[in-house]
Amino acid sequence: MRGRRGECDSYEAALVGSSRASAQRRVPIGPSGTQRVRIVDGALRCLVRQGVAKTTLDDVAREAGCSRATVYRVFPGGKEGVLTAVVETEVARLFSALGVAMGEASEIEDVLVAGMTEAATRIGGHEALAYLLENEPGVVLPYLAFGHMDDVLIASSSFAAPFLGRWLDHDEARRVAEWATRIVVSYIACPAEGVDLTDIESVRRLVRTFVIPGIRTLRSSTAASGVSQPDPTDSSKGREPTTSTPTIAKGEAS
Amino acid sequence: MDETPRQRILEATYSCVARWGLSKTTVEDAAREAGLSRATVYRYFPGGRDELVDAVVSWQHLKFFATLYEEVHGASSLEEVLERGLAFARRAVLEHEVLQMVLRTEPGVLLPKLTVESNRTVALISGFLVPYLQAEELAPGMSIHHAADFLARMILSYISSPGHWELDDPEQVASLVRFELLPGVLRRPPVGTGGG
Repeated sequence: MRGRRGECDSYEAALVGSSRASAQRRVPIGPSGTQRVRIVDGALRCLVRQGVAKTTLDDVAREAGCSRATVYRVFPGGKEGVLTAVVETEVARLFSALGVAMGEASEIEDVLVAGMTEAATRIGGHEALAYLLENEPGVVLPYLAFGHMDDVLIASSSFAAPFLGRWLDHDEARRVAEWATRIVVSYIACPAEGVDLTDIESVRRLVRTFVIPGIRTLRSSTAASGVSQPDPTDSSKGREPTTSTPTIAKGEAS
Repeated sequence: MDETPRQRILEATYSCVARWGLSKTTVEDAAREAGLSRATVYRYFPGGRDELVDAVVSWQHLKFFATLYEEVHGASSLEEVLERGLAFARRAVLEHEVLQMVLRTEPGVLLPKLTVESNRTVALISGFLVPYLQAEELAPGMSIHHAADFLARMILSYISSPGHWELDDPEQVASLVRFELLPGVLRRPPVGTGGG
């Protein structure tokens, strides 16, 4: 899909440990960081095969090539602790991939398109998620609607907002990031004919049709309220990249 | 009030769900609550329990839309329809005790009906919006169907999970409508009181 997949992999590896390599080789028990990764990856493979309810700590230990006692030593919380670590690890992997995809983009439209496509592709192709959606929907669906979806929206928009900070102020960036997350979640939960979020051109059409006009309206309203801003969707006027998120004006929505 | 047996069974099933939850409600419970025989319930719902539960969810859906229609009836602009509708719908979701209970205790039973099978909900909201969109001039290249589908998805998303928005704050709702719902849909600039 992108030419810099290698960089993405090494970034992920740095963040969560070398997952695939350590999962495939039964390396001798190493430092607990490595052990942790092996247990998490072992648990993930159990989830792909048999879901949450049927996975026992023995299964996880066997899959990770260590003893049950070792799993307990690394995760005193037992199964619950392992599962939480799996979710955290998978979210970190997703975010790091999103970070690479969005970081490569040089216009606001491309940031949104890259982030949304990457997210939909990774979530759609996630084997454990697919198994759970099919067999244990109660585990996953609370994150796609109602209560826990708020957590997803807040985590995702906090993560993605800084990538929009070159063009939008803090509050605008957060709301646009949350908005983009809603669009992705909506099409994952309820697919529509003619929209394929794993297809970059399909996502671009969606972003150009609905999101960019919204951002233009938002910016022109900010400009009208006295804060002069360049049009972020006009690439010729894009601001120079900055390392930190500039906070130009506090929006009124909070 | 004169009720059809079907209506009576739905009401009864709903009472059972409120008491015991979705998965513990049986055809027998519903029949007893309705004061009808099990055979009568099966005559109206040959699919038994599953059909009954689906019918109760649909019935609540329709009831909700009937109330929503009353709530936004007489609004003078598309903006007002959306603003009033969003605020009302969020309040209705929060105040729906049975929905909240089932979401808490049996998410795996109810959520498939509301999310993965949410095509039905999106279609309902979208159908509701079509007449209002017909009265508007849409953005170039935008079809009524496309516009209604997008608005319905977004509305469902905000109602279900407001994220960092407070939908009981009219200014925030107006801002949502003005900046996230309508700019891509309408040819004219949306009007509203919402700030950036």
